[in-house]
Amino acid sequence: MTEVKLDRIGKKYGAVEAVQQFDLTIREGEFLVLLGPSGCGKSTTLRMIAGLESITSGDLLIGGDRMNDVDPKDRGVAMVFQNYALYPHKTVFDNMAMALKLQKVPTAEINDRVGRTAEMLGLTDYLQRKPAALSGGQRQRVAIGRAIVRTPKVFLFDEPLSNLDAKLRVKMRMELQELHARLNATSVYVTHDQVEAMTLADRIVIMNGGVVAQVGTPREVYDHPADEFVAGFIGSPAMNFLDLTRDDTGGWRSDCGSLSLPALPVDTGTRQRVRLGVRPEHIEVSGAAAQGPLTFPAQVLLDELLGADALLSLGIGEARLLARVGGTGHPVKGDSVAIRLTPSQLHVFDCETGAAFR
Amino acid sequence: MKTRPRFGLYALVILSVVISFLPIIWLVLTSLKTTEGIYAWPPQYLPDPFTLKNYINIITNSPELLLYVLNSFIVALGCTVVALSFGGMAGYALSRLGMRRAGVLMVFILAVSMFPPVSLLPSLFQNFLSLGLLNTYTGLIIAHTGLFLPFTVWMLASYFATLPSEIEEAARMDGMGFFRIFWSIVIPLSWPGFVATGLIVFIFSWNEFPLALVLMTQNAMRTAPVGISLYPGEYAFPWETISTATVIAIVPILIITAIFQKQIVGGLTAGAGK
Repeated sequence: MTEVKLDRIGKKYGAVEAVQQFDLTIREGEFLVLLGPSGCGKSTTLRMIAGLESITSGDLLIGGDRMNDVDPKDRGVAMVFQNYALYPHKTVFDNMAMALKLQKVPTAEINDRVGRTAEMLGLTDYLQRKPAALSGGQRQRVAIGRAIVRTPKVFLFDEPLSNLDAKLRVKMRMELQELHARLNATSVYVTHDQVEAMTLADRIVIMNGGVVAQVGTPREVYDHPADEFVAGFIGSPAMNFLDLTRDDTGGWRSDCGSLSLPALPVDTGTRQRVRLGVRPEHIEVSGAAAQGPLTFPAQVLLDELLGADALLSLGIGEARLLARVGGTGHPVKGDSVAIRLTPSQLHVFDCETGAAFR
Repeated sequence: MKTRPRFGLYALVILSVVISFLPIIWLVLTSLKTTEGIYAWPPQYLPDPFTLKNYINIITNSPELLLYVLNSFIVALGCTVVALSFGGMAGYALSRLGMRRAGVLMVFILAVSMFPPVSLLPSLFQNFLSLGLLNTYTGLIIAHTGLFLPFTVWMLASYFATLPSEIEEAARMDGMGFFRIFWSIVIPLSWPGFVATGLIVFIFSWNEFPLALVLMTQNAMRTAPVGISLYPGEYAFPWETISTATVIAIVPILIITAIFQKQIVGGLTAGAGK
């Protein structure tokens, strides 16, 4: 029973509300990712769970027990820090064994637990080294090992991969996935990297300005973003947005007049203006002769080859859209093409509130 | 283009080193001259004849000098240890434990150190007299600690502020209390700061004059600066004795500085973070 329940948790620094009414139950064994831009309150939320930051309002329950005023060490949580936060003057072994020594665990058991964890993480040969003699990836592994050794009820990760270079980050990300599959411990992971969030999470919590914008599986937040912020934040390159106005016939027309849609796939009530969102990967680009519903002629203004994919900057009259297409035989700058949109892949948002119409 | 300003900089550095070292070099040279050599005109730059007679004389004729040096050493060491202990704890609390009004307290601490020591002398003397602390090591150590503690608190607080706070947070998560974190994490990581601060306090205390003069009235309890200053007789000014005694009094400080300078290595926190 190591469910973590955040019951309308809030954090205030003076008059500034860093986190407002955070309400969520993290299921046992779940890997939950808190995602958002810097300053959105995700780290503060994590630190409140850890006990490094006091909770201004609301209740934190770990395994059913209220933890608001419990010391960090007694919460049954372990944390992996962005900067590793190893004890530089102690060996890898001592770094990993510290919590157990403080708990007065018998030496034989400490040796056994540290030994097994080191083996799991490939650190056996480095146990007598100091952190300064390790590479970045090894240091982060020690930091993770230090958390594992304690067999905590909940793992907390505060941007653990952001100090690593791109290659190592991918490798460590996979190691974390394997580790979670193995330990199956409840985990809360903070990141601003959507790729980490999408690949690691069972559920993603997207935060914006101290407020939860959406909670959902990676699939849900990608396919059905709750609002314009989430839609723009998840997905790379970011979603295209176009403002549409209802015309006399009941159809919708873009402000520059070059795109018109007979109907929208969702009910927008009596709204006269909405914002259309379409992901670059959902724009189908074909030869200029193509005809059909939701098909528009376009010019390629710029093409960027990424390797497997290419990005096309398209001009439809005055409107600009970014499309992602296959990297071989794609149209190039100056070509005339046609683009086709698929109704089920269009997102429609309220211009005023940003909320998605469903 | 780039070498010209650097040349000027080097010239300036060499000039300031020469100016600040000249008196010390002169002092050492004087201690190696005969009395005639000291008063010779035109002045002798290098001792001629070179002699160690002054050193032999001072050690055989006035053995109390070694006692003064010992007294200075005991007082300076005691003051350093006490100041680092209290200053370390106070500095840690003020810079890291999120105390309310820590900034105001820091300014108060600084303000206290602004009193000229001489203004404290009458009341200190009275109190030490009634407490029986005159002519005791404890007394002068307390007085010197009071004098140099504000400096220690400030130095160490600003050193602690440079440590990455995540290490302390990790220690809290591991289950260490504040005192344990201070003892087994903060002190080892702040070692260079402690050594540098301790060295300065040691030298301050070694050289301190007014309090040492007034609070240590018995000859056997005098510190080196006070003892040496009392050498001049009524009619003569024994340059050779004073310069030799001063050189002897400088030596322990030089040795201590040389030992600990190697300890002030930066990058002790390397490997903790990135």
